[in-house]
Amino acid sequence: MDDVLAVDAVGLTKRYGSLTAVDAITLKVARGEVYGVLGPNGAGKTTFLRMLFGLIRPDAGSIRLFGQSRDEVGTRVLDHVAGFIESPKFYPYLSARRNLAGLARLDGLSGRGAAHRIEEVLEVVDLRDRADDRVGGFSFGMRQRLGVAASLLRDPQLLVLDEPANGLDPAGMRDMRALVKRLAASGLTVLLSSHDMLEVEEICDNVTIMRSGSVVYHGSIADLRERAPAQGHSLSTDDDERAHALAATMPDVSVVRGAEGGLVVTGAQADIDRYVLAVVTAGIGLRSLGIDETPLESLFFLLTERTTEVTT
Amino acid sequence: MTTQSTPTHADAAPVVGHITAGRPGVLGVFAWEVTKLAARARARWTLLVCLAAPVVLVVVLKGQQRPPKDSLFGRYIHESGWALPLLILGFAAQWVLPLLTALVAGDIFANEDQHGTWKTVLTRSASRAQLFWAKTLTAMAFALVVLVVLAASTMLSSVLIVGHQELVGLSGQLVPSATAARLVLASWATAAPPLLAFTALAILLSVRSRSPAVGIAAPVVIGMVMQLVGSLGGIEALRPLLLTTPFEAWHGLLVEHRFYGPLVSGAITSAVWCIVALTLAFTSLHRRDITEG
Repeated sequence: MDDVLAVDAVGLTKRYGSLTAVDAITLKVARGEVYGVLGPNGAGKTTFLRMLFGLIRPDAGSIRLFGQSRDEVGTRVLDHVAGFIESPKFYPYLSARRNLAGLARLDGLSGRGAAHRIEEVLEVVDLRDRADDRVGGFSFGMRQRLGVAASLLRDPQLLVLDEPANGLDPAGMRDMRALVKRLAASGLTVLLSSHDMLEVEEICDNVTIMRSGSVVYHGSIADLRERAPAQGHSLSTDDDERAHALAATMPDVSVVRGAEGGLVVTGAQADIDRYVLAVVTAGIGLRSLGIDETPLESLFFLLTERTTEVTT
Repeated sequence: MTTQSTPTHADAAPVVGHITAGRPGVLGVFAWEVTKLAARARARWTLLVCLAAPVVLVVVLKGQQRPPKDSLFGRYIHESGWALPLLILGFAAQWVLPLLTALVAGDIFANEDQHGTWKTVLTRSASRAQLFWAKTLTAMAFALVVLVVLAASTMLSSVLIVGHQELVGLSGQLVPSATAARLVLASWATAAPPLLAFTALAILLSVRSRSPAVGIAAPVVIGMVMQLVGSLGGIEALRPLLLTTPFEAWHGLLVEHRFYGPLVSGAITSAVWCIVALTLAFTSLHRRDITEG
């Protein structure tokens, strides 16, 4: 039984008309592993997770969870699986406790056993004090934690979390990551989707990086670190268009547009120095230059904003 | 394109204790749907209106000097407490009953879309089929409860306020009070099949549109259009197929020589509408990709 993979997805494909949301993804997660699926928004992470839960039917490929497929055993395929996709959703007009009681009923749990279990999971996510409040009045972070509670309710062996820290304030993110790490340390297999390299680096053992529905990297975080380029730098000029165009003549540096404006420059330090000099020499005004990304973040941007595929 | 690693945390202690989950049955899921429905203000208000509105209506009509003589049994509402429930039944069938059932049936599936909770319930142990039938059962049960409450409130308030005198039938025959009571009860009961068919129609619209507004309003509009079509001349072959026609089948019970043909054809029509609407709704939900929420 221990040899059976928690997740064994092979050639998974989903198309919407001419758009291929997920393109022949193969992903295997061993039991007890903490696995990250990383990619920018629109990479296909959530579509992949929806297929894993049976919310979306794949056009091609197969998924086995703990050795079972939906075609063979129906909804029993999810017997050892729980989690949430994007932000967890509940019935806002019911209290947290009644929401959990209803979900327990959908898992075939009722009576004293279910009530005890609900108290237990509310305690884990630190929501016992608010358990009788309507979920409609909950903050985003509280709903995220309730989502984890709802997942733990069914005693999963595989916990699937789709961007669990997304939308949380820094303290909420810290608490959520601590909770996920605690759950992972308890022996759960965790499949974590994120667009945050730091989050995945902090929590996961192995990672698959996706871009536009395809896998561009899969392997261990340790291997990824070895491949990481030099530190990324943020660069702001009075003419980012020209500065960006200038990079085309310098293949040793990567210059991409930053998420919040400006440019992100990565490469060896000497190459970055030469590029900055070239920018200034070209008469482009330099406004700021600073350290922007960790090496892993730089690699993530390289992988997800270029067409290169890296495999181990 | 694949990766696999050895387990790294498998020997650690669990955060929560282990529990053995069972398999939910349709009745278990049904109980959860009823719990949700009971928590909705809309459902509670609907039942309250069904209980209170007939009393108000009876009091108002009783106080009117001129009864609505152009409506069926309208001219007798001051003479027998059994006439008013039939007048109200005729009126309710026009749009009130479709609306009352659509308030829940038109919302029960679309509500999951509105709250984004399909992904919450479909990642548990209950199957789509179980959820579909539990929701359908809930909507059907609510429709029947609405009908029973409305009928009981109308009959009781009318008999208590007006009295339980003999009723003048549609052929002009005098119907003794005890017989009239049974016939009025039976007349209200004949509204159940088309009401359930309208419930199925609202369920279909709720599943397809994913919008509570469409699920609630569209059955009422469709019912009104059917009534309009039914009132046109030269469509005798089409009329039995309309879902509003079975609402009039009780007329055959109130004549001197009773006839049951419209009741039978009305039941068949309602059953066909039910089966077709629920089949389409089930297929739609079963095949759907849950991409929102």
